[in-house]
Amino acid sequence: MPLYIVNSKAGAIPEAAKAELANDLTRIHCEVTDAPPTFVHVFFFDDAPMPPLGDKTAMVYGQIRHGRTEAQKAQICAEMSAAVADRSGISKAGIQTFTTDTPASWVMEGGDVLPEPGEEAAWLAAHEAKMATQRADA
Amino acid sequence: MTDCTCMVQQGQISAEQQATLCTATSDFAQKHFGTPANINWVEVPEGSGFTAAKPSTSVIVSVRADRSLSPSERVPLLHELEGIWRKHAGRGPDEVVSVITDPAQ
Repeated sequence: MPLYIVNSKAGAIPEAAKAELANDLTRIHCEVTDAPPTFVHVFFFDDAPMPPLGDKTAMVYGQIRHGRTEAQKAQICAEMSAAVADRSGISKAGIQTFTTDTPASWVMEGGDVLPEPGEEAAWLAAHEAKMATQRADA
Repeated sequence: MTDCTCMVQQGQISAEQQATLCTATSDFAQKHFGTPANINWVEVPEGSGFTAAKPSTSVIVSVRADRSLSPSERVPLLHELEGIWRKHAGRGPDEVVSVITDPAQ
């Protein structure tokens, strides 16, 4: 978490552009939220049922942790729409980006319940120390 | 039925693993939420999944509880669900995202 699902009409986002676009979306999320990239997921689909495309060519749906400000969410949406347009050539009018909030306490990743926004650095340090101990014990 | 979505990377989970995971996840739902799982199995096309901007090996399993859960109730369930997927999908701890949501309001 976060999970960004990019659904688009078949071929609208070139295969060769997906890695670069994933990098863009990851960077945008991290820059806006100050969260680490460790657990940022970006999954691309062509003509998937969810999220429905309607009259759009591409849809970016972000499931993010609860606690981000409305300004942060608006910035994420604007910058991600621009990134999709830049990488694919789809007009901005053909792209919709939106997010929904999920409480951090509902999600476990890497064996730990996710931290609340703003607590990522301490969480990640503790998590990586735990993983190092587990690797050493293995 | 207990709604459940499982997102995996295409080509990384065998048919046998899928069958085992579906059974174990449904058993989990039956045990804790009273009904078997209605599983929406989603495969991310090969080359289309990225985690930390690198090709992804992650699985994401999301189960909707039948009631609002307290943290003391939810955390052990998250551990159990994660354990099911680590064991049967052959994933490491950083490759499993488990989610248990409250019912839709």
